[in-house]
Amino acid sequence: MSTTPEYDKRARQLATLWLLVLLACAIALAWQLRDGLPTDTRLTAMLPEDRQSPLVEQAANQLSTGFEARFVLVLSSPVLKEAATDLARRLENARRGDPDDGRPLLDQLDWRPQDLADDDPRESLDRYRYRLLTPAIREQIDSGDTRQLVTTAMRDLFSPAGTPRPITDPFGLLDTWLNERKGNRMTPHDGLLTVTEDGRRHALLMGRLASHPYDLEAQRALTDTLQAFKDERPDASLMRSGLIFHAAAGAEQAKREITTIGLGALFGLVTILLVVFRSPRVLLHMLLPLGGGLLFALPLTLLIFDRLHLLTLAFGASLIGIAIDYALHLQCDRVAHGARFQLKRLLPGLVLGLVSSLLAYLAQALTPMPGLRQMAVFAALGLLGAWLTVVLWLPRFALPGQPHAARLAEWLWHWTTPRRRLSPRVLILGGGLLVTLVATTLTVNDSLQLLNPSPPALLEEEQDVQRLLGSDTGNRFFLVKASSDNALLTRLDEIGDTLDAWRDSNDALNYDSLANNVPPRSQQRADLQRVRQLYGTPLETLVAQAGLPEDTIERARASLQDAPFLSIHEWLASPLGDLQQRLWLGKTSAGDMAATLVITGTNGSNMDQRLATLADRHPGVTYVNRAKHLSGLLGTWRQHIAGWVALAVAGLVPIMIWRYRRDAWRVLTPPLGAVLGVLSLFAVSGIPLNVFSQLGLLLVLGIGLDAGIFTVEHARRSSTWLAISLSTLSSMLAFGLLSFSATPALHYMGLACLTGLAIVWLLVPWSRPTATVAIREISHAE
Amino acid sequence: MCRHWPLCIALLFPVQALAFDLDDLQDRLHDIPGLAGQFEQQRYLADLDTRLDSQGRFRYVRDERIVWSIESPVEDRLEFTPDSVSNLADQDNNDTRENQVASLFLQLLEGDWQALDAHFDLDLNGNANQWRVTLTPDSDALRGRIVSIELKGAEFLERLELHAANEDVLQVDFSHQHVIETSHADGDEAGHVDDA
Repeated sequence: MSTTPEYDKRARQLATLWLLVLLACAIALAWQLRDGLPTDTRLTAMLPEDRQSPLVEQAANQLSTGFEARFVLVLSSPVLKEAATDLARRLENARRGDPDDGRPLLDQLDWRPQDLADDDPRESLDRYRYRLLTPAIREQIDSGDTRQLVTTAMRDLFSPAGTPRPITDPFGLLDTWLNERKGNRMTPHDGLLTVTEDGRRHALLMGRLASHPYDLEAQRALTDTLQAFKDERPDASLMRSGLIFHAAAGAEQAKREITTIGLGALFGLVTILLVVFRSPRVLLHMLLPLGGGLLFALPLTLLIFDRLHLLTLAFGASLIGIAIDYALHLQCDRVAHGARFQLKRLLPGLVLGLVSSLLAYLAQALTPMPGLRQMAVFAALGLLGAWLTVVLWLPRFALPGQPHAARLAEWLWHWTTPRRRLSPRVLILGGGLLVTLVATTLTVNDSLQLLNPSPPALLEEEQDVQRLLGSDTGNRFFLVKASSDNALLTRLDEIGDTLDAWRDSNDALNYDSLANNVPPRSQQRADLQRVRQLYGTPLETLVAQAGLPEDTIERARASLQDAPFLSIHEWLASPLGDLQQRLWLGKTSAGDMAATLVITGTNGSNMDQRLATLADRHPGVTYVNRAKHLSGLLGTWRQHIAGWVALAVAGLVPIMIWRYRRDAWRVLTPPLGAVLGVLSLFAVSGIPLNVFSQLGLLLVLGIGLDAGIFTVEHARRSSTWLAISLSTLSSMLAFGLLSFSATPALHYMGLACLTGLAIVWLLVPWSRPTATVAIREISHAE
Repeated sequence: MCRHWPLCIALLFPVQALAFDLDDLQDRLHDIPGLAGQFEQQRYLADLDTRLDSQGRFRYVRDERIVWSIESPVEDRLEFTPDSVSNLADQDNNDTRENQVASLFLQLLEGDWQALDAHFDLDLNGNANQWRVTLTPDSDALRGRIVSIELKGAEFLERLELHAANEDVLQVDFSHQHVIETSHADGDEAGHVDDA
């Protein structure tokens, strides 16, 4: 290399410094990986953060993940009891990890009526029983006709199955109240918990995992257990509901795709490079930047995000394509110049290439989706690491001559150079036509389905189970805020009253509210008053009829003294209240108390409208339709990203014009032409544009700019064309393979990349300058 | 051979007594298609240190139901099935606690040890002519409600004694029992108690 000794010295220092940085990264990574790679397969990590209303976000998260560790199995079989017993045994004996001495898979399995009796809510709610009345009992006391209550109390005293408490609760008020709370569609039958639909009886098995649903060992143990059961009982059928099944499907898919897409891209790349350069040593030099990039990106990403999302790894695998770009340009230039190779000549192109790619990624880092942000940070860091490795290290290695590659470059140049060139006039005309086509026919899609990688069959099963149980995942809810617990309960109670009135005309409508179980203080006060009334003459009648001792009356009345109010906290701490934990949000940052009221069992935009109007009538109440809300957010961000890209392009145009003057359009044609081409293809074939295909276009823009810049920088050089061809081919391999992903997000991203990069490659020869371009010289270092 | 007769008999007898186990008892109780008779129930309420007595008749059809007719001190008819307890006036009973006690009650009457074994430790004493089964809960949750249950009987179950955790005691004595044919019982109107 013909450079000054001073320059050489500094380059050597920088190369050593980079080695030290990478060594530090290696040490940091080893320390971070001491307990294995902290991966994350959560689907929710892909979901956007809602910056405008963090409380809605918190509420939605809590509603959807409240039952994370639980799952439900619905079993159908001609020999139901036998099959259910068999399945329960298998689940109870299932182990995580080693089948013989691994830890148990489940904390708890409820499948017999007795299992549910184990959590007795009576004890924790014992002191509040005098303030909790069911509407029916309230009505009976108010009407003055308490004969029915006395009869029921008598029966409890004399039935062999009764559990009378003549002093604490002679009328069994708490039992009646609790029974109403348990009202779900589960019925005990033949020693099993069952649900019936269309005359068919299914057994229910409800499990609670000992670990979390993202525990890969737990997923494997559960999947294997169910598979073994199905293999041995082909006549039984199972429906599954629970996050663990979705997490298992997601993890399985991500793992499969990392292997097929990541390894597929690497394998294809190695094959191409070996064919072109025919030297394992050159191949090693090509892969060195890749290693440098990964070593740089992994520890820093883990430092910023704590855990690595599996999707980041899948996407990171695609980074292989771009990281190798720089090495390709360097190597192809070496092929052309041999010993006369100088990094200085390539540097401006390399810098512009890096800057444009980083811009594309950084735009992605601005999206509010944590999952995508992590991918972008990972990719940007990886690129920077790869770039630095190429620039600082690769020129220092001596390499054998590459006559074969040089011949190949000439051959490619000869066969792919078109006779004619595009003229700006044709370009403007064609561009105008395509813009019109896109503007008039392109559709968009912001559906939440894009984010949901679960197989449709599994989603259907989940819905079937939810329907059988009459439960809901909390898609639509009221977010209610008030200054105190009691004010909050009063507000919840008011909304509940309106919904109760609506229910009379629409029995599908139902709701879950804290106020149903923790009445406002005014109600609790009135109910205690009613109980005092009941403990008057009706109690005296009961005691006389049953022949109980006289002092029963006084002792029962004494227990009404100092009856405490039931508070939200005590309710939530009770076994039954545990089921409503998901509704409680607690103190907000503004000092308010907040809770959700979940609407179930009704659909239709008509109802949406009514619910929204109801929310408007009450202060501190917001109605949220989560699915709608989220697709609205997705749509907003799709527009935002489009805006950012437009801004990035607008920022690049002056730079390009400054450097390439009249030939700036040649730099911009491949990237912008490709983006427009992809949009037109989508428009013509009726594929709607979504936020993920748009992100794919961002990458097309970055790689297209690389290609445009190098074409114009080194206009008439076959080696540059070889480098561009190899780089688009490798990127198509890396990103295009994503279009085979079963995750909708990655699929659309890959589809945009595959078509976009192909168009980039096709456009480059047409926009190539016919002679060396007059470039404004950047003053090189010395 | 004949010389050993006394020895044979001596050997045979205890063996036979020893061999009487829970399975045999279950088989025997399970062979009864239905049963009707009278009961006397005593409930001791520890809180009040008081005893509530009641009498009446019962009619039991295996695997199906038991109808419990209280005749004094009040008149009331209850029906227990494996799934639910209901009084005949009010069919819609969803008291899960009571249902659980009712299904436990049925399992006890039928000697359904498999079902009971899931929640109790079972202990059989005596022989075919005079047996006693003691059940102790094997879970803390159940121990919080039941201390022990004792069943005594000969041909049929004769006494059931349940000691609750709050020191209440339920004792039911069965008498004048006789086997009824299921087909006959099925033909009867539900709730009808055989007056034998």
